[in-house]
Amino acid sequence: MSRSRVARLAAIVAVILASFFALKSRYPWPTWLEWNSLSPHLDTFQTWLLDQRNAEHPNVVFAAFNGLASFLDNLVAWLNDLLLWLTWVGTAVAGVLVVLRFGGPRAALLVLGGFASFAAMGLWEQSVQTLALMLAAVCLSLAVGVPLGVVAGRSDRFQRAITPVLDAMQIVPAFAYLMPVVILFSVGPGAAVVTTMIYAVPPAVRITALGIRGVPVNTVEAATAMGSTEVQLLTKVQLPLARRMLLLSVNQTILFALSMVVIAGLIGGQGLGDTVTSGLYSNPALALLAGVAIVIMAMVLDRATEAIADSTDPTRRHLTAELRRRLRLATLATGAAVALAVGLAHVLGAGRVYSRWTAQEWLLRYIQKGLDYVQDPSTFVFGITSPIGDFIVQYGLQPLRSYFVETPWPVSVAGVAAIAFVLSGRRPALIALAMLASIGVMGEWEPAMDTASQVLVATGMAVVLGIALGVWAAESELVARILRPLLDALQTLPQLVYIIPFIYLMPVSIVPGVIAAVLYATPVVIRLVAAGIRDVAPEAVEAAGAFGATRRQVLLKVKIPLARDAIMLGINQGIIMVLAVVVIGGLVGSGALGYDVAQGLQRNQFGQGVVASLAILALGIALDRVTQGNRRARREGMA
Amino acid sequence: MSDRLTSRRLWAGVALVAAALTAVGGAAAGRTAACGTVTINEQAWAGSTANTYVAKYVLEHNLGCKVKITKTAEIPVFQAMADGKVDAILEDWQHTDQYAQYVTKQKSVVLVGPNGVTGIIGWFIPKYLLDQYPQFATSKGLKGKESVFKSAESGSQGMFLGGDPSYVQKDKYLIQGLGLNFKHVTVGAEPAQVARWTQLYKQHKPVLFYWYDPQYLNAQYQLVEVKLPKRFAGCKDDEKAGGDPKAYACAYPSYVLNKLFSKKFAESGSPAATFLKKWSWANADQNAVAKLIAGDHMNPDKAAEKWVKANPGKVKAWLP
Repeated sequence: MSRSRVARLAAIVAVILASFFALKSRYPWPTWLEWNSLSPHLDTFQTWLLDQRNAEHPNVVFAAFNGLASFLDNLVAWLNDLLLWLTWVGTAVAGVLVVLRFGGPRAALLVLGGFASFAAMGLWEQSVQTLALMLAAVCLSLAVGVPLGVVAGRSDRFQRAITPVLDAMQIVPAFAYLMPVVILFSVGPGAAVVTTMIYAVPPAVRITALGIRGVPVNTVEAATAMGSTEVQLLTKVQLPLARRMLLLSVNQTILFALSMVVIAGLIGGQGLGDTVTSGLYSNPALALLAGVAIVIMAMVLDRATEAIADSTDPTRRHLTAELRRRLRLATLATGAAVALAVGLAHVLGAGRVYSRWTAQEWLLRYIQKGLDYVQDPSTFVFGITSPIGDFIVQYGLQPLRSYFVETPWPVSVAGVAAIAFVLSGRRPALIALAMLASIGVMGEWEPAMDTASQVLVATGMAVVLGIALGVWAAESELVARILRPLLDALQTLPQLVYIIPFIYLMPVSIVPGVIAAVLYATPVVIRLVAAGIRDVAPEAVEAAGAFGATRRQVLLKVKIPLARDAIMLGINQGIIMVLAVVVIGGLVGSGALGYDVAQGLQRNQFGQGVVASLAILALGIALDRVTQGNRRARREGMA
Repeated sequence: MSDRLTSRRLWAGVALVAAALTAVGGAAAGRTAACGTVTINEQAWAGSTANTYVAKYVLEHNLGCKVKITKTAEIPVFQAMADGKVDAILEDWQHTDQYAQYVTKQKSVVLVGPNGVTGIIGWFIPKYLLDQYPQFATSKGLKGKESVFKSAESGSQGMFLGGDPSYVQKDKYLIQGLGLNFKHVTVGAEPAQVARWTQLYKQHKPVLFYWYDPQYLNAQYQLVEVKLPKRFAGCKDDEKAGGDPKAYACAYPSYVLNKLFSKKFAESGSPAATFLKKWSWANADQNAVAKLIAGDHMNPDKAAEKWVKANPGKVKAWLP
């Protein structure tokens, strides 16, 4: 960033600060500029929808939704019944052997470990329910997301059109659209799959598009010059070369889907999500155990799909006739072994669910000991964490909050628009202005500014940490390997499970919510940045090396600039991830918009929930536009 | 041996084994229950777990029913009952909007009646604080002494810990209407709020918070209610309605907790429906079982069994 830009930014911030200190609290958003009837209109809409749905002769549209809901319900129920019919032995054996055949011994061992852990934790039945639900949701999300991603990767116009829709799908909290989903799809696994898909399709689309765009233009030109058709170009050039990104998109879709397990439980998803929800109220140790089961499932699914993708990579194996024959035999042998195992299990009377010796009581006892330590305010840890929390809130977050809320509204709106103009150009500035104005018009100015102060802190930390660790992981294989399971865990472990114990150690508001947001958003940033840097064309790196650049110079002057698109996507996703957990923040003391959305669902105040969600969305779009820089100039190679 | 022969033999072997085992295995006849499967919805809190699992235990052991427990959230469960996916809920805290929509207008859900438990909501403080400041027995005594409750996030004001977003609350307006200098801090869902006030309780510090009964923690911590002004005609209770804070300046009403059935289940004539219609118990019973489940971390089925075995008389009154 040029020096004049930094100077201009500093000047704008100085003006805002000055007006805050001079005119504090004297200019709240004026009520004559608020349109307060949006919320009641939405409530009326929900009542109308409910009446329509439960009418004697419902509209044919509902028949379509009912049909889709039944199809999804039956799909999940069928998968669940299948897994139970196979008996616990059969399911485990089938999983292990299939992965062994298609993915190799290492992945098979992981699958075995996964099943063993579900059994040992005494959560077999819930795990199978969640597995059935997630298999359906992930497969459908990929089936919808990857083709859309391919189209977005090849067509600029489509990408521009679909990006705001994807932003909305990821930012608008599930709590806000849970009731409409229930009205349209009723309660059950079908509604759970739909809710999961709304959240899991966007990463599939985005990362696939990134992968397609990352295929070097020269290669595409060469293929076209050789006379390939569009389809051949896609299937033989672009998709294979985008393989690493495609794999990342499968990985992220799995993780995003599994992070919705708890919310899916609220509308009939059953399984581990239910265990977590009721555990939070009556048995936090069990909630933590179920959370760990969700993480294990995510990691096993992810590693298994990766191993399968790697073994079936056409560039890595050379299929001779002999090899093809052997593989076919191996498949048959696997099928036979599975059938044998299932048959034997039935004969020997193995139950549908594993219910013998489990380590659950022992595990719960140890976890409870840890929780008891955390909940004891006389420990020395509490003596350290509690004052730190008080200090951060009193001298950091509360003043920042009042700075955002009490600055005169015209100054805030104009200031943000000015910052956006300096950083990104005219169009993003206008959009940011429009977004902030709409927040005020909806009557959500104060809570939105409150949330904005927290979101800014969380996003700043997530982006800085994410880029730093992402670069490190790209350069060091060891770091990447250590980080990977940790990142998987942070993306799928239900936040409330670890944040509620944290509140015992740091009993103040705001801080737990910010920490939850940072821990949830940083992994995505790390992954995208690392993938982007690793994917930089090796020729460019070689050329730089040939010119005598040191490793550091290669990193700073070649890799990072060339990975700019991935890094900007990482920042964008970091913002989105922080906003996606604003509601979780509301449930642990962040108040403001997050609390309003949660209350909207749980007190049946639909309008309030939707309006607060729209405010969150508007904040997200404004923040994204401010930070995205000048996209058009970048595309034309000028920035 | 050619590989085609090998694979043919392999397939034949698989088919033979499968056929043999299917013939030998056979499905054990499932125990057909006299009353089929009943789906009861369990809400998130421990009290609901308590009543659901006690009902489940009696239904399974005394009536031979099969019980399925779902955990759908409080508001969507009404649609689930309307669609026949859930048969019964045993504890509802007067969601009058849903009653109007599903019970009165659509008639797809039946309001069966009270479950015997009375919910009370109010402002609570620890007993040690009352011993130190006897005037805190009523809300009037709080006036002028709000700074006793101050915290890092409330500045010079006193801190009032608000309740779970799913519970009916009017404390923001109450504080304003009573002219008290408290900052209403929304600490989030119940587990988060419990974390906040229990930590303060264990440190013997002052804390004022929204709380209610039945709640299993009331047996573990010594809490006293701060008396709010008596209810007057026209006193409002749900903040959703907005308006003048003074209209909210009275105590919360007591809540009759209701049982609701889906229309299909209510009209089914099943022995489970008859049993659940008669089922009811007192606050003390619910708190006792909830304490076993959430306080002592006992498995809910075992906790239910323990209570049922200890209270045969009460159980007998429910049976047909």
